[in-house]
Amino acid sequence: MWNLLILNPMINLLLVFYNLLGQQTILAITALTLLVRLLVLPLTLKQQQSAQRMQELQPKLQKLQEKYADNREKLSQEQMKLYQEAGVNPLGGCLPLLIQFPLLIGLYQAIIRALAVSPLDLLQLSQNVYSFIPGLAALIPLHTNFLWLDLGQPDPYYVLPVLVVVTSWLSQKLLTPPTPAAGADDRTAAMNQQMQIMMPLMFGFISISYASGLSIYFIISNLVTMLQYLFIRPRRAAARAAQPKASQKE
Amino acid sequence: MKQKALLLLALGVAVILSGCSGGVRPTGWTNLIVDEDTVYAADVDQVRVLDAATGAVSWAFPPEADLRTYGPFYTVARDGNTLLVTANERSGSGLFARPPRGVLRALDIESRQIRWEFRDTGGDFVVPGAVTDGLLVIGNGDGCVYALHVEDGSLVWTFPTAERVWATPLIFSDTVYIASLDHTLYALDLTTGRERWRFEAGGALVSTPAAQDGTLYVGSFDNSIYALDAATGAERWRFNGQNWFWGTPVISGTVLYAADVGGNVYALDTTNQQALWQVNVGESVRLGPALSEDGGKLLIAGADSRAGALYGLDTSDGFIVWEQPAEGQLGSMAVRGPVVYVSRILGSASLQAYYIENGRPVWSYPPPEAGQ
Repeated sequence: MWNLLILNPMINLLLVFYNLLGQQTILAITALTLLVRLLVLPLTLKQQQSAQRMQELQPKLQKLQEKYADNREKLSQEQMKLYQEAGVNPLGGCLPLLIQFPLLIGLYQAIIRALAVSPLDLLQLSQNVYSFIPGLAALIPLHTNFLWLDLGQPDPYYVLPVLVVVTSWLSQKLLTPPTPAAGADDRTAAMNQQMQIMMPLMFGFISISYASGLSIYFIISNLVTMLQYLFIRPRRAAARAAQPKASQKE
Repeated sequence: MKQKALLLLALGVAVILSGCSGGVRPTGWTNLIVDEDTVYAADVDQVRVLDAATGAVSWAFPPEADLRTYGPFYTVARDGNTLLVTANERSGSGLFARPPRGVLRALDIESRQIRWEFRDTGGDFVVPGAVTDGLLVIGNGDGCVYALHVEDGSLVWTFPTAERVWATPLIFSDTVYIASLDHTLYALDLTTGRERWRFEAGGALVSTPAAQDGTLYVGSFDNSIYALDAATGAERWRFNGQNWFWGTPVISGTVLYAADVGGNVYALDTTNQQALWQVNVGESVRLGPALSEDGGKLLIAGADSRAGALYGLDTSDGFIVWEQPAEGQLGSMAVRGPVVYVSRILGSASLQAYYIENGRPVWSYPPPEAGQ
């Protein structure tokens, strides 16, 4: 079912892009990554908007935590009330993440499978390529050389892993709420800081160990995330600026 | 809480994506050869020499498995008293491990010692080489074909192709025929490596051509089997199947038997290119078919990743007479007398022998008791 619905369509799309884009694997990976990110764009926007709304509620939440520090039940009630008044679902950021997760895993698998580094990989690929699209099988194996890279192998000079770490860190930095002011929840701040360091290192580790075609996917993904954020931020800022004026008129 | 959940999710993804790297998980298939009453097998952790009748191990190299020193063994070929074995070695370790590179070793059968090693390649060895007149010709993942003296391992010539070479060459008379993933079949001069002709197919080529009466037969990933003039490379005819052809066809008289990775097995009349019969075994097939010595049975090796079955078909009509499923993926097949010998990866038994007549097991290595 996974192959039928997720993996096979992605692998064949990758091959179609490869054919359309001058048989350049790096361009095909970029195009497929952009397409998948475009497909999940409504979900990621929703997720980022939800994260920003939660961020805006932080001062009020902190006040509630101080006020009801000794009464967790009351704190919980008041927090829920605040969420309802603000029209925010505290789990609103998780659901879009969970929905887009299979697509991103599928994209990862499609890239690895299509690069077919080992004979076993190539045999598996034979089961994924649509026979009803003429000419797809003739594209195999994909040309994996680009500049100094063999996209089927890790980058020998570690340039791509470094780029993965840097872009992951930047996108994490943009998406993570700034450290709250005095009186803030230290645990949340510490967790955010851990995330900012752990996630880029994790992706860097994967980039060092696996095909550099995968690093291309990580880098493009991170750049898209940053662009999305830079697109949302001015709109949210404008919306926030409009809110007090509307309140004054009322 | 949300951040914690995300962190756990991220770590989970890291584990899934990075996979489990413990132990040796084969990246290619193993092979075996049967000479006289002995089976020689590249069996990942050791090169094993077994009694063909009983499956008892006569000796192994190295005596104790030592993957760190020798790497996993994948292929074996024999020339007289020499076994030519390939393994893939990784350099570096941990985060800085580099992709595996092939190493070719000449192992003296009598002394059970390595005579020479050849490491001057840029890729891995996936299939065994072919040997004739003291010369070994072998393809490599770096896209080159190498010819070496069996006696001392000295390099005679190399020939570059545009893609990985994952096919064993066919040496016929003074010509080497070798397929490359660059969609091309090359005919090379055996002594100099000079190109005589090349034939470009519509898809990648990974199999050894079969030859008969001046005609070469080779399957391709464009679902075709090509019949070529062995002297010039000119196409005589082609047969269009339903999926990629990976294995070498086998010929008996005027009938050519071939199987594709969609599990379709074909019997073709080479005089008119018509299919005499076609059956599907229900799983993909990577290896070429093998014929029993009396020509009555066609052996098909399934390539299912978990339990590749061995099938015995009646050559007259393709009827599946018997089927022997077993854990693991079939790597190679060799027929000797009434028995077919197979190697497997990813299964509890790595070497097995079956009676061709009825598919009954003869022996299995390691024996079931030891494997449990």
